[in-house]
Amino acid sequence: MNEQHKTTILLLDDEPIVSKRLQPALEKKGYAVESFYQSSAALERIREKDFDIVITDLKMEGVDGMQFLTEVKERSPRTEVIVITGFATMETAKESLRKGVFDFLAKPFKLGEIQEIIRRAEASVRQSDGLGEN
Amino acid sequence: MGKLTERLSQLLEGRRKGDKRPFTDLFSRFRRILELNNSILSAIASMSGKLGGDYIFDRQYIRSASAEIMDLVGKLIFNLQALAPGKYAELNDVYRSICSDIEAEASGKLVIHEDRLVLPYADAGPGDQEAIGAKSARLAEIGNTLGLATPPGFAATTRAYRLFMERNRLDGFIAELERRWLAGELPVESASEEIQALILESEVPARLRKALAKAVGDLFTGQEESSRRLAVRSSALGEDGRRSFAGQYVTLLNQTPENAAKAYVQVLAGTYSARAMEYRRSMGFAGREIAMAVAFQAMIPARASGVAYSLSPQSPESGEIIISSIWGLGGPLVSGEVEADRFTVSRQPPYNQTSVNIVRKTRRWAPLEPGSVGPEPVQEELQTLASLSADEVRLMAETAMRLERYFKRPQDIEYAFDREGRLYILQARPLQVDPAAADQAEGLCESLQHYPVIMSGVGEAAQKGIATGPVFIIRDKSELPTVPKGAVLVARRSSPSFGAVIHRIAGVVTDVGSTTGHMATLAREFRVPALVNTGEATWKLRNGQMVTLDAEQKTVYLGQAKELCLHELVVDPIEESYEYRMLRRVLNRIEPLTLINPSERNFTPAGCKTLHDITRFIHEKAVEQLINANHANTREQAVASGRLNISPPLDIVVIDIGGGLSEQAAWRMSLSPRRRMDIEPEQVVSRPMRAFIEGVRLPGVWSNTPVDVDFSSFMSSLTRTFAAHGPGSEELGKNLAVISECYAHINLHLGYHFSIINCYISENKADNYAYFRFAGGVTGAARRSRRAQFLVEVLKQHDFFCTSQGDLVVGRIKKFNAELILDRVRVLGMLVGYTRQLDVSMVSDAQIKEHVDEFGRIAQAASSPKNGRPTP
Repeated sequence: MNEQHKTTILLLDDEPIVSKRLQPALEKKGYAVESFYQSSAALERIREKDFDIVITDLKMEGVDGMQFLTEVKERSPRTEVIVITGFATMETAKESLRKGVFDFLAKPFKLGEIQEIIRRAEASVRQSDGLGEN
Repeated sequence: MGKLTERLSQLLEGRRKGDKRPFTDLFSRFRRILELNNSILSAIASMSGKLGGDYIFDRQYIRSASAEIMDLVGKLIFNLQALAPGKYAELNDVYRSICSDIEAEASGKLVIHEDRLVLPYADAGPGDQEAIGAKSARLAEIGNTLGLATPPGFAATTRAYRLFMERNRLDGFIAELERRWLAGELPVESASEEIQALILESEVPARLRKALAKAVGDLFTGQEESSRRLAVRSSALGEDGRRSFAGQYVTLLNQTPENAAKAYVQVLAGTYSARAMEYRRSMGFAGREIAMAVAFQAMIPARASGVAYSLSPQSPESGEIIISSIWGLGGPLVSGEVEADRFTVSRQPPYNQTSVNIVRKTRRWAPLEPGSVGPEPVQEELQTLASLSADEVRLMAETAMRLERYFKRPQDIEYAFDREGRLYILQARPLQVDPAAADQAEGLCESLQHYPVIMSGVGEAAQKGIATGPVFIIRDKSELPTVPKGAVLVARRSSPSFGAVIHRIAGVVTDVGSTTGHMATLAREFRVPALVNTGEATWKLRNGQMVTLDAEQKTVYLGQAKELCLHELVVDPIEESYEYRMLRRVLNRIEPLTLINPSERNFTPAGCKTLHDITRFIHEKAVEQLINANHANTREQAVASGRLNISPPLDIVVIDIGGGLSEQAAWRMSLSPRRRMDIEPEQVVSRPMRAFIEGVRLPGVWSNTPVDVDFSSFMSSLTRTFAAHGPGSEELGKNLAVISECYAHINLHLGYHFSIINCYISENKADNYAYFRFAGGVTGAARRSRRAQFLVEVLKQHDFFCTSQGDLVVGRIKKFNAELILDRVRVLGMLVGYTRQLDVSMVSDAQIKEHVDEFGRIAQAASSPKNGRPTP
């Protein structure tokens, strides 16, 4: 697979462990992954580039994940957003579905679980891209 | 005198109050305790399961999961105190203290309680890693647990480090310099230089100086002045025994005792060398996590030294051990300054050498003047001689494998042979194996087909992993000391008593057991692969058989599946994150089970070190509380009660506290509560009570009597104590049964025997137990003791754990499925009948066996096959 056709993923979580674990695992599966711990840096990046998939926590220190994902969807409606969050913020996470979030997952989760959601999000992105071209 | 009366009346008052607490309340408390106990054990197991590597979790998870467990344990304590008011008040303090540690750890603070500034290796336990750092903790464990020779030594603890930093007010300065470095405002060299200068200018606090001097003095007691030399090195906490930190920190050799304090400061300064700082950054170690312990070890006068890898890091698939060695001290080999002899050895006994490469060794490193080591010439005839003999190579290889088995990872070992040929382990740390090489273990699936499968698809994995070794089947706790090292322990059921051997066995397989039980926790703690609840291990596996257990795949192969073991060793554990270590530290105060044996003296609230200990303690005490509950008033609160109408006439008053009798019977009795009514056996729906009645009524039990008397007259004599009274309230507490659907407490006073049967069953195996207590008799001590031996023998044959003292026999069985527990209650019913006058006839020891056999025949004939022990 050449570099241009790789599905791109932006990962934002203020706890470094999440991307430290996820990034290598996803890269092994053939995704192009960029990780961020700070929403400001992640925001800058999404203003430069549209990602296929954005994975973000909702509740981060000093960051409003909801605001971040809102901006992502505004800038690039085709981007699928997956919310990963603690059990305590699951209500907010469900709320985020109304903002057009693809799916959400409670932390802690198994690697296999998020890979499955990513696979579905990827299919959805590909499908809408296909429709767009017609 | 007045005071005495007052006191007596207080006591009586108190007792009466106690008596009045409704048993139905106690019982519901008890059930609540069981519920909480199970919730706690699953919550702990779930949290501990996150260490397995399958999950991605963050700090928020650690905080919320530990808070949930603390909350549940708090409720558990509350319920025990309601069950036994005023009895276990100390639990509150213990609980509060453990919780405050957990909260501190979960918020990122290191908790080091020991107000110990130094800790000798000989006194260090597995929980002391936080205090003495990974390097020292592992070395102490190797010496204390595996019994291998290690340099005698002690550690200046992380507490000493804190004292040093606080007294010299270094924290703030260092944090600021590190912050500027991490923010890119300061090059690492400048930050390092400034921090090191600050440390080197600092004073060692007087308390610490004294403690060091004393520890050094103790270390060298009785030794000549000239041989009193120390190796002083770092033992960082952050390493966690897994990340190597190889060569990152300072080691000072050949130090005099007088120089100990100065060496201490130098080693601390070395923590902030530029490369150590960079290394920590690259490993993601947060700055606040550093707490440096320092190791002080006696120098070993080395004839030859070197490094052994238990698995070739370049070609793990080759299955070889790599041993290199040089003459003298090992320093130049580790730093790569000199060439070394190299031995390649098979990982399998008898550890044959597969290749040897002897180099010319013209110099060796030796202690020079105090404080330094350096090269000296090697005699011509030794230069091309192998620096290790064949026997020494074999010993080193065997030891490397022992260490690998114990630490569950390939090992990078520094060692020395002294002039007497004694092997010392100087250091052992995890070896990083080439991940690319690991990928070559692809044909795993096919190569595994060569191994016959003994068991597959049965049981549950309590701890994942691969274990290989000879099967050792254990039938009784007393056999535990004979379990050989490296064995795969096979048992009928899981028991926390395995804790005594868990560190030296390769794996565990049981017929019965749960993944949330105490043994499962032990297995996880020691990372011993464990497969429980297979239902067939004890009869499918044979003693001495070489097997490979793959707990995750629930499979036991015949033979040593080398490919599988290798694959397991080169899979990189994802355990090197700050969060992982934090979870481990938090779990340290939650998960370990240190209260293993209820009959030990430390089985007290104060003996509880973890939340798991508290949970176990409460479970045990709650059962005890239920068994010993006073039933004087139970009848008043009962749904229904009446005399059980069975033959043989046991004269039992049955008290139903809910669901123990058929609805119809309970309803009829409630219509006329004042009338004394008989209860027919068919009306009893309490499952434990039914099982008991079945056992008691088995004709074989009563007719095979060795005492030749007329049955009805015998029975009337048996119950004569009560015959005159009828079932009035006064004999309550003598012959009575308190029952619910899932519970029976049967108190019997037959002839001259007192016995109690207490049983609870539910859907959840972990709740289930049966308890049996038997005492009394009319004959001499010898006959009563024979009867006790008979009972113990029969109970053991039926999976009970027994204790006996004089004529008192106590048998317990727990954590089996309900069917099996009920079958054993049936056996207890039979025993009650069978033993009623057994001591009278027990005229010789030979009769113990006769009766055991006779009872066995009756039990065999009576037991339904599905409940019995499977036979090969």
